[in-house]
Amino acid sequence: MGSGIFKSGSPAKMASAIVEAATHYQDPAILVKVSTGLGDAMAGQEISKLDMKLAERGW
Amino acid sequence: MVAPTVGVLALQGAFAAHATILESLGCATHQVRAPGQLAAVDALVVPGGESTTMSMLLERSQLLEPLRDRARQGLPIFGTCAGMILMASEICDGRDDQHALGVLDMTVARNGYGRQIDSFEIDIEIAGLDTPFHAVFIRSPLVTRLGPEVEQLAEVDGVPVLCRRGPVTVAAFHPELSGDDRLHRRWLSGIRADRV
Repeated sequence: MGSGIFKSGSPAKMASAIVEAATHYQDPAILVKVSTGLGDAMAGQEISKLDMKLAERGW
Repeated sequence: MVAPTVGVLALQGAFAAHATILESLGCATHQVRAPGQLAAVDALVVPGGESTTMSMLLERSQLLEPLRDRARQGLPIFGTCAGMILMASEICDGRDDQHALGVLDMTVARNGYGRQIDSFEIDIEIAGLDTPFHAVFIRSPLVTRLGPEVEQLAEVDGVPVLCRRGPVTVAAFHPELSGDDRLHRRWLSGIRADRV
């Protein structure tokens, strides 16, 4: 989930919300609270427009 | 004597294996993530995990002060690994915003035995047990000071690894991972005796 955090609009808030959501996964009220006001999520990328295909990374 | 209802703090970390052992010993167990759940238990296991994260989640879940209060009132607690850190009165290398609950007068160093590669397993002699206990140390805290009122029940290389004061027992290792329920059993027997 690293890129989901660091490419979001507000990484610190997003990271903290993910941790709290994992703890309180059975508590809908807390899930709503921590999911509110997080700003933009990581934008999706269209595969045909990627500069580098993931399969070509690494070594 | 009715078996106590035992809570397992379930904010993060190694809570599931504790519940399995406690249930095999006849206890009803509840996962504790909220103040109302804490209020409903007779005793509490504070499991291993990441102590800084647990400290932050205690605060955000409005559990920090209720837990401190219940501990002061004599709540039986079994703190293991990160749970030991949270029970200590002083954490010598924690973040400034990490809370020490001060349930036991002792100082601990987080990851005091080293990094993950330094984790180890060892058979230790424990006061009151006939045969050694196989102790699993995973990035364990290192006890650097023990207050005079805290009893040391086991040590490794001269460093306390299992300590007790009244109904509160803390272990630097993970007693829930050895397939050996003697430490849980002993902690529970202390609770039952207190309640008679």
